[in-house]
Amino acid sequence: MLSFVVALSSVVFAPVAIAQTYDAFDAGSDTVEAAPSTAALSPSTNQPPVVEPSPAPPTQHGGVIKTILGILALLTLAYLGGHAKVRAWEERLGISQMMAAGFPFVVLGMVAHLPAVGILTDDVLLELDPLLHVGLGCVGFVFGFRFDLRTLRQFPVGSERLVFFSTFFPFVLALGLSAFVLSLVSPQQDMFVFSGPLFLRDALILGTAAAMSAPTARRWYRLGKSTRLSLLVVRVEELLGIAGLALVAAYFRPQNADASWHLPGTAWLLLSVGLGATIAALTFAILQTATRGPEFLVLSLGAIAFAAGAAGYLHLSSVVVTFIAGALLNNFPGEYHMRLRDTLRRLERPILLLSLVIIGALWQLSDWRGWLLMPVFVCARLAGKWWATHPVLLADEQSRLTQEERYALGLSPMGTLAIAIVINAKVLYPGASISLIVSAVLGGGLLTEIFVQRVHRKHAAKTRVIRNTPPPSVTLGGMP
Amino acid sequence: MNVLIVFVLAGLMQAIRSFDAPYNGLGLGTTLAFGYLLLTAYFAGTLFKAARLPKLTGYIAAGIVVGPAVLGFLNEPMVQSLKIVNGVAIALIAMTAGTELEFRTMRPLMRTILWITVIAVMGTVGLLATAVFFARGLLPFMANLDSQQSMLIALVLGVVMVAQSPAVVMALRDETQAEGPVSRTVLGVVVIADLAVILMFAITSSLAKAFLGQGADVSQTAWALAWELFGSMGVGALIGSLLALYTTKVKAGAGLFLLAVAFILAEVGQRLHLDPLLAALAAGMLIRNASTAAEEIHHQIEAFSLPIYVLFFAVAGANLHISVLASVGLPAVMFVVVRGIGLYYGTRIATAFAGAPKDVQRFAGFGLLPQAGLALALSMLFTKTFPEFGADAGALTLGVVALNELVAPVIYRWALVRSGEAGKLAPSMQADIVSGDESGLVDLGPEHG
Repeated sequence: MLSFVVALSSVVFAPVAIAQTYDAFDAGSDTVEAAPSTAALSPSTNQPPVVEPSPAPPTQHGGVIKTILGILALLTLAYLGGHAKVRAWEERLGISQMMAAGFPFVVLGMVAHLPAVGILTDDVLLELDPLLHVGLGCVGFVFGFRFDLRTLRQFPVGSERLVFFSTFFPFVLALGLSAFVLSLVSPQQDMFVFSGPLFLRDALILGTAAAMSAPTARRWYRLGKSTRLSLLVVRVEELLGIAGLALVAAYFRPQNADASWHLPGTAWLLLSVGLGATIAALTFAILQTATRGPEFLVLSLGAIAFAAGAAGYLHLSSVVVTFIAGALLNNFPGEYHMRLRDTLRRLERPILLLSLVIIGALWQLSDWRGWLLMPVFVCARLAGKWWATHPVLLADEQSRLTQEERYALGLSPMGTLAIAIVINAKVLYPGASISLIVSAVLGGGLLTEIFVQRVHRKHAAKTRVIRNTPPPSVTLGGMP
Repeated sequence: MNVLIVFVLAGLMQAIRSFDAPYNGLGLGTTLAFGYLLLTAYFAGTLFKAARLPKLTGYIAAGIVVGPAVLGFLNEPMVQSLKIVNGVAIALIAMTAGTELEFRTMRPLMRTILWITVIAVMGTVGLLATAVFFARGLLPFMANLDSQQSMLIALVLGVVMVAQSPAVVMALRDETQAEGPVSRTVLGVVVIADLAVILMFAITSSLAKAFLGQGADVSQTAWALAWELFGSMGVGALIGSLLALYTTKVKAGAGLFLLAVAFILAEVGQRLHLDPLLAALAAGMLIRNASTAAEEIHHQIEAFSLPIYVLFFAVAGANLHISVLASVGLPAVMFVVVRGIGLYYGTRIATAFAGAPKDVQRFAGFGLLPQAGLALALSMLFTKTFPEFGADAGALTLGVVALNELVAPVIYRWALVRSGEAGKLAPSMQADIVSGDESGLVDLGPEHG
């Protein structure tokens, strides 16, 4: 882990040098060319896309020295982040799970984006823009490739109600409460009216993110047969999350008169599905031609980047399109599954960690409204999840849960897909209110994890349940 | 099947590009271009291989066809944004080349390598300079120069046009799995010749600038050159030591660490006026000759290098403006022929002097023909250094690179096959490459072993 963090942070901050020392000509031309994209990444921009003023470019020598010092500082931070003692401290605090284990990388991004440090400036984020798109595409593809249609056919009897409640309650509560708070503090007050498209869009994003869970309960409890149930709930939530993001991407598109294609929302939705299916068919054909490992790497990376790039170019969700492609590929027949899974397993970790650094840089720390929204979001989500498993709602014999099952399902941390959903939403709609949502979901993810792990730890100790699986590594969560 | 996939990809790309919304920024275009070019170039490579041509010519050809010069699926900003891959690729290629240069095994070849560098490479610079001087009537940008100025500019152009390509040589060596005195000699020559070319360009361009009345600070030039050469080698040696230490002591995540180092070397090094190629080469040579980590590092690079190499050559192709051949076609073809004759016969003479084996005498000259990264870089540097010659001079040198980039790999591949060295890579190394699915993947950290 330590070495990996060091290595990775070197990768991440190397491009810093590019932007830090670009001469005025290069920087100028790039900025003009890519203005909308910069806006998409910039944490503090409003819709319509406007280029954020960047910190003044440093002089050539000053920039180089600052860059080298910055890289050294960040390498040190990365070293500390991966150090055994720090990890032990994380473990004690209960933040060593999947999302929080990647937290040092989020912190790297946050620190590097601070004006005083000035390494991951908006210009550098612009350089890293393609990486974020590939990262989102990879997240979607990996989650999609885990999706097995046969799982849905093996629904345990009586679990439909649980699945419905555990998705619906947090969705509705987060949608209602968080969106209400957001409506009070949103910087776009004039446009932000109930039943208005902005309110609906942001509420949908918040609700969708709140419904996502990480399948980490098995770490604390011996769930037996219920392990499959908890995984099933997570899979269904992921599917609904993707559906929510697809709706957001299709029905709230900016109506740009200069765009070549003018289609209704439903057509864009169908286009997302069609593009995902086309990419899946193409990737299926492509993978039949690969014989060696490196070829698989080229083809997988190329297919994911092409899918993410195509979706992004059409202003569709990269996560949705690649998820559909991944899901179809997992359910197509063929001999490629094991090798593709192996390749994805190798791709997902570095791409996820790189993405976390960028996400950290996008986190708008200075805006108090994000901090205000965060606890509301966390409480709404946790309350929704907990009530969804209430014995009153699951009273019949087939749906009833044991106390451990209730803890495992009702107090679950947030999944990586929730982060991907809000970041993708921000890429699509670089508005200020989405920046607040990103803050709420990122911070909320960490807060939730600390809280639920403390509760689980206490409960597990009280009921003498022994931890039976090792903590997961920083991946997208349990690629089988 | 492969042809069909290429057409489907092209169809999709055309359809997607028809959605030309104003909010499509650089990032989205870059991601799309990255994926499309990687896939298309890969399949073009397989098609070329089926036609018994080098894969890398397929990658380059794919770049040319889908790039701004022909079909325009990739526009100029997309291609420019993909250039970020170039630095990493060059650093990795140079590092690999460095790890191939073992002093112990190279020592018997050194005499030959030095003779080729002096007679073939430097001799061809003279030959090209003479050709440019006498053909200056065909070159409008030299019309207003007097004889002395023409001679100096001809000399600079000779240096620019003689540059070789370690990248192509390495890529073809990997592709054909060649091993033997021809491929080793060629690798040694192109590496040393690259150093010589960089040095010669700095000297001749400073002289030419002084004679053209632009003034050149000799001490400043010398200092800059010394920094570029010795600074690069020093930094390279330092990086090599770090890499060797990391690979032997830490081990975990070595592949990614290597990639990170290549990236930093390429980007930060360039900003510090270091030559990433020299630095990476020095790092590789130190690793090979002063540590035990060479095989491991070689293995790690091999594991993840394919996407980077495919993209590198495809982007090089996309950068080629074939249209310039229309304006400078005749002189460009002429200089390609002169260069080819100079390098080939120069090598034959040099190897005969050095008493090299017959195969080296017959085939090594072909390995000096390919051009890619350094030649393109020098060509751009020439345009930047002498802006008064306008785009015409740049077009001429780019035209020469374009022709060599397309034709020379085919010739060198043929030479490797004819010399009998193709497919002779040591069985253990061959097994590593062939079974890349098991071993040839990035080590991502402790969890992944």
